[in-house]
Amino acid sequence: MTVGPITAIARQDLRILRTDFVPVTLLIILPLLLMPFLRPAFKLALTLEGVQGATGAEQVVPGMAVTFGFFLVSNVSLGFYREHGWNTWDRLRVSTGSAADIVVGKMVVPLLQAVAQFVVLFVLGGAWMGLHVRGSWLALCAVGAAFGFYLVTTGLAVTALCRTSMQATAVANIGALLLAGLAGALVPYKLLPAWAHYISPAVPSYWAMEGYRHAILGGSGNVTTPIVVLLGFSGVSAFIAAIRLRLGDSKAGFA
Amino acid sequence: MLTTRDLHKRYGSIHALSGVDLDVRPGEIVALLGPNGAGKTTLVSIIAGLLTPDSGTVEINGITTGPQLRTLPRQVGLAPQEIAIYPTVSVRDNLRFFGELAGLRRSRLRQRIAAVALTFSLTELLDRKGQHLSGGEARRLHTAMIVLHSPPLLLLDEPTAGLDVEARNELLMVIKTLAEDGCAIVYSTHYLYEVEQLEVPTVAILVEGRIAAYGPIPRLVATHGGAASVELRFSRACPQLDLPEGALQISGDAIRVPATHSPAATAASLLQTLDGAGSALREVRLIEPSLESAFLAVTADRSDATATLL
Repeated sequence: MTVGPITAIARQDLRILRTDFVPVTLLIILPLLLMPFLRPAFKLALTLEGVQGATGAEQVVPGMAVTFGFFLVSNVSLGFYREHGWNTWDRLRVSTGSAADIVVGKMVVPLLQAVAQFVVLFVLGGAWMGLHVRGSWLALCAVGAAFGFYLVTTGLAVTALCRTSMQATAVANIGALLLAGLAGALVPYKLLPAWAHYISPAVPSYWAMEGYRHAILGGSGNVTTPIVVLLGFSGVSAFIAAIRLRLGDSKAGFA
Repeated sequence: MLTTRDLHKRYGSIHALSGVDLDVRPGEIVALLGPNGAGKTTLVSIIAGLLTPDSGTVEINGITTGPQLRTLPRQVGLAPQEIAIYPTVSVRDNLRFFGELAGLRRSRLRQRIAAVALTFSLTELLDRKGQHLSGGEARRLHTAMIVLHSPPLLLLDEPTAGLDVEARNELLMVIKTLAEDGCAIVYSTHYLYEVEQLEVPTVAILVEGRIAAYGPIPRLVATHGGAASVELRFSRACPQLDLPEGALQISGDAIRVPATHSPAATAASLLQTLDGAGSALREVRLIEPSLESAFLAVTADRSDATATLL
């Protein structure tokens, strides 16, 4: 693996992103707009849990970060399918040293998008919603980094498993809503049915929410377990990508 | 520069390549000809490192690859058959990307972009997005992108597809210049006249995964081009004529007769045998042996389907 080709691929993806900034901007702006609608419900749920002085921001900000973070999964896939659609995929393969260069290069921009989304939602959204981090900002960033890494590795796995961009987008979007719902990112976790409480620990979004919650509320909880579990899920996704992603496979770019 | 030895590739029960040997020296253009499905694109893909052969070796610039190894990227520039550019970014950014991939930076990269843009008549278009280029401009950019890092071996798969005559001639001139500068070029095409226009020293005719004919054009024409012949075309179905041995009915209204002496003498002799059928005669062609006749003879399995020995 060499830095030169990875940097070149990331730069080209940034140039392409620059030509159409709207989708990424929407993924950052829309959750901000949804926060005021959902905050009262989260405030009520936190108050019922006994969290003193809860504003609802403690749940609504990470909830939107988790929900809309999942939409970035399809952006990872798009980076690959776009090359197939433009017939540039084979050129890229011939021009770079290794498969690892291409894969890592293609992960850079989605990872930067995840970072940008995290920063905007927690800094701007947090300020707007009155988020007070009682625990640790460092822990919050660590959870965000682990979740971002999980998103891009899952994007790779989705790319490996889906033959068309439509399949990948459908899987990513439906998965986003399902996983966000199960984690209590869309509605307060306490309001979920009992059976959902049994399933939730099996999904990565639950651990992302748990990690954010501990980092924001502080207290007895720690973020180590959520981070380790998120990295474990990332490992599973990376393993699926490693065994199923064949650069020579034909993909239908825009079908 | 490029040597392939005993390359084999199968797709299920289909032998795409069956023992292909190919040699290309620096500064040489080797034209790869063959009917559809002959294995040209498979061969180009294996040389480029996109496909691995089932067996056999590819040696590029002294580095040997095979089923277990991958072609080193900076040795090869590939222009695939379909136009492959980034439509949403500018011509400059398309070129810049492939320069960066090859390790070019800053002033060296800027110099190469300017030089390549000049060579391919893209200077005025550098700030135009790929999606706003005409077909010919996009094809020029498509080819320009592979020469940016000056690879010693170029693989051009149908590089003039979809170009008008002027753009095609311009591109052929550029390709000739690249070869004169020492670049080894594998040029896959369906257009025989381009091969003659490029003054390609070596032609390889691929049929059903094998190199059925290989060598300089004059030798191929002498070996496979056959004798000169005379072709008669009628305005209706061919009349019954007393024709010499070896005459072929090449379609319902045309016959081709080998010229035993000079084509003109054979034509004169044939015209005398027409009698009443002469009024239906539409065209007389004197056909000299050519790359086309050699190609048709080598790929005879296909041409036999439309030609019947009389």
